Amino acid sequence: MISALSPLDLDEVLRYMGCPADQAPPETRAVVEQCAREMEAAARPRWIGRVLDITLEEDGVRLEGGLLLPGQDLRKHLEGCERAAVFCATLSAQADALIRRWESRDMLHALALDCCATAGVEQVCDQVEQEIESQFPGCSFPFRFSPGYGDLPLNIQGELLHLLDAPRKIGLCASTSHILTPRKSVTAILGIARGKIQQTVRSCLSCPARESCQYRKSGGHCGIS
Amino acid sequence: MEFLELLKTDRPVLLDGGMGTMLQARGLPVGATPELVALEHPDWLREIHTAYLDAGSQIIYANTFGANREKLERTGRSVEEIVSAAVAVAKEAAAGRGLVALDIGPCGQLLEPTGMLGFEDAVDLFAQVVRAGVQAGADLIAIETMTDLQEARAALLAAKENSNLPVLVTMTYEASGRTFLGCSPAAAALTLEGLGADAVGVNCSLGPREMPPLVEELLKWTNLPIVLKPNAGLPHPDGSGYDITPLEFAQSLAALADLGVKVFGGCCGTTPEYIALLSKELAGKTVKAVPRHVPAAVCSATQAVPIDRVRVIGERINPTGKKLMKEALKRGDVDYMLGQALAQTEAGADILDVNVGLPEIDEADMMVRTVKALQGVTDAPLQVDSTDPKVLERALRVYCGKAIVNSVNGESASLETILPLVKKYGAAVVGLTLDENGIPKTAQARVDIAKRILERAQELGIRKEDVYIDCLTLTVSAEQAAASQTLEALHRVKTELGLKTVLGVSNISFGLPARPLVNQNFLTMAMSAGLDLPIINPNVDAMMAAVRCFHLLTNVDTDAREFIAAYANASVSTSITAGNSPAAAPQSTGRSLKDLVIAGLKGEAGQATRTLLETTAPMDIVDNVLIPALDQVGADFEQNKVFLPQLIQSAGAAQAAFEVIREKLSTGEGGNVSRGNVVLATVKGDIHDIGKNIVKVLLENYGYTVIDLGRDVDPAAVVEAARKYEAPLVGLSALMTTTLKSMAQTIAQLHDAGLPCKIMVGGAVLTPEYAKEISADFYARDAKESVDIAKQVVG
Repeated sequence: MISALSPLDLDEVLRYMGCPADQAPPETRAVVEQCAREMEAAARPRWIGRVLDITLEEDGVRLEGGLLLPGQDLRKHLEGCERAAVFCATLSAQADALIRRWESRDMLHALALDCCATAGVEQVCDQVEQEIESQFPGCSFPFRFSPGYGDLPLNIQGELLHLLDAPRKIGLCASTSHILTPRKSVTAILGIARGKIQQTVRSCLSCPARESCQYRKSGGHCGIS
Repeated sequence: MEFLELLKTDRPVLLDGGMGTMLQARGLPVGATPELVALEHPDWLREIHTAYLDAGSQIIYANTFGANREKLERTGRSVEEIVSAAVAVAKEAAAGRGLVALDIGPCGQLLEPTGMLGFEDAVDLFAQVVRAGVQAGADLIAIETMTDLQEARAALLAAKENSNLPVLVTMTYEASGRTFLGCSPAAAALTLEGLGADAVGVNCSLGPREMPPLVEELLKWTNLPIVLKPNAGLPHPDGSGYDITPLEFAQSLAALADLGVKVFGGCCGTTPEYIALLSKELAGKTVKAVPRHVPAAVCSATQAVPIDRVRVIGERINPTGKKLMKEALKRGDVDYMLGQALAQTEAGADILDVNVGLPEIDEADMMVRTVKALQGVTDAPLQVDSTDPKVLERALRVYCGKAIVNSVNGESASLETILPLVKKYGAAVVGLTLDENGIPKTAQARVDIAKRILERAQELGIRKEDVYIDCLTLTVSAEQAAASQTLEALHRVKTELGLKTVLGVSNISFGLPARPLVNQNFLTMAMSAGLDLPIINPNVDAMMAAVRCFHLLTNVDTDAREFIAAYANASVSTSITAGNSPAAAPQSTGRSLKDLVIAGLKGEAGQATRTLLETTAPMDIVDNVLIPALDQVGADFEQNKVFLPQLIQSAGAAQAAFEVIREKLSTGEGGNVSRGNVVLATVKGDIHDIGKNIVKVLLENYGYTVIDLGRDVDPAAVVEAARKYEAPLVGLSALMTTTLKSMAQTIAQLHDAGLPCKIMVGGAVLTPEYAKEISADFYARDAKESVDIAKQVVG
């Protein structure tokens, strides 16, 4: 049960804001800290997931129930897995509203809140992952994979949410342009393998998002490795 | 018996139980679309409906919960075929034993501002379902499982505009007592009753044991019958069922008839067994007639404001006499209004008046944009203010909550056009005590007009509590005897007619010295005479102080808590010029303005600019201080000496300086800080706009006038703005790979229109190569680069 955000990692937030943590002036850090507290208070994290059998097919990964997740990258990523947990998580409309509230008056505050929310939704996903992994002792898990990584298309968002009954259960929807709303939300597929597998750690080399990654574009990295 | 007749009896009304649970038990695969069952297995539905009718249900819900075009798109089936099949099988099962409700659930997409679906699009989507349901012969409409009040409003409005059927509306709450989107039962009750629902309540959400607090809250805010259709208890964490037995469900739910609940049923996890037990428990029970005292109140989706003490209406969102706001309206800058709104609520405004009337602009369009933007950032209820009924109607349609309409008056033309709008959209209304003959001189004549307005409103079914009378302030320097007439009329309206009163206060002092002093004292006198809703500038502390003192001295502010919270740490000046908030202006630190901008010190930068303006021309400050300071920060940013947060911080400080300069220029002749227009937009389909907003701040602080079209912007709107504002530069942003194609389309349309503007693009997934491919003129890697591009293009 995840009902609130734990204290956010301020260094991570600073990195998302485009500022190396060790070079952040104290005033900036103070703003980030204040925003972190505000976001922790406003966000209402919610998630929902299901564990399904999977079949690796030529065109992608077939989930139990029939949905095909197309593309080669996820297929390769899930090699060795017999099952996968499909889950989605959101920080709620209240997180979006808090950011919106500051956008018209103080952009630094708004940016900091936005990055806090990004860090927050990652935190929730990490906790969800832990919760799922604890139910499968002895198994290994390639890192979670989301639509938009590699060649797994974003237009699968709506189907994934439908599969999880997410609009009704946690109030998470996809727009016609396949954007998740509320904005600070994630859908993900976590492979589950009985045996040992390779790709358990996220790094730029194995990250399917590397080609368009904004941190790599500016010569850095997102900090997840 | 018809639904409305059932509601009139003193007996409980019984709905059905869960549908999804029953379908899954018959083999509906998880992840399938349940609405298709009406076509594929109508026999299942017939069995389920029959089982509920046998169990005692007087009303069954047709299997149309998700039968809207948004959700059915993936199935290739039409709304009409699903709805007609589902209603037909339900009617066949009911066969005179019960009524059939057209069930309408959420459409599967979130509405603006959290999502992207427009309000009128949602109304249109639900209207199609309603028309199909009417055609199919449904007896009533049940709107359920709503978490967004705006979506519930859209469905209810569609029901009222496309049918004569009774409508019950239930929303889904979390254990916190709020919906996923933060809507409270109070706001739901006030808003939905206003819009014409016949019964309101709760479904899904929680179990019957969690219902009493929600019921108590609903009873406080509505006179309508209350509906409960909860789940079979709270779900076990492992998904293996619910935490109470069918009997416990029936007993704890039926007990709520004693609280005054009228309509009962079950949602997820409940079966005919639950309903049969519930029927048994309810047998012989009468619904307790609980006396209700619903107060005069208005609300937003998240906050109800009862008019049970003085409530301040902030008057600042109004262009009269405000040059900066007029300019903002002309360039469609909604952010300016948002800033005004937040400043007023922080200062203590409870409700915000919104007037965007200006001859040169499309007032209705601007009103809709402003109301939508305001309700995205503030919890305060709004008072929509216009002389044009069309503008008022457009505002009332999109306003999510119960608004105040400002205003109607005693003229018959006004009564005939404004009051029907107030009734249809469930608003409260300000009634001005004037008519065809102008403002009467005497208190008696004003009271007579108030009476007329009240009578006409009540004839239309508007509650007395929703009529607020404005006895009109006249300028005391012109008519000194008038003030006492206003106060007398106000007092009599309050005591003789029993109505709430509203008054614009600031006019009283026009043409006099020491205006704050006059305003403050008149406000105090008016509150003593019975004023409930002063329309004032809450940013003037003398005015808020009068309200706080009034609450203190009339024993409304219990234990002086609010007064002490406001003033314990403030040194209140008693001089008559005291007009600003107790928070003193920042003291000069002796640092130069350039240093302050580089250091990103907002408050100090504004103060230093004020000082500098005493000796230096505004444009010299811009050219010789602000721009060089920003250039230096920009250069440091490029060399990784400072980072994005400091860049934004400096821009914020420069912004504060620019605001002071703009104020100065707006009061004097000539001079223009603008270096030219730049149109910015986040492209159609995309709502990730924080990058675009950072670019906006930077560009503005280099002196460019930014026409910000917002997010999810139609290509045609970009073309129109580029043409209208003769912008030499257009900036487009997109964050998602899926929305890059709208960026390409927007660029193509700009080129097709043959406009001379240059186009810059930016966004996380963009590359210089792709920018070239879609024929953008520039790729901006970051916000700083967008300024460099603007300098190159605009100068």
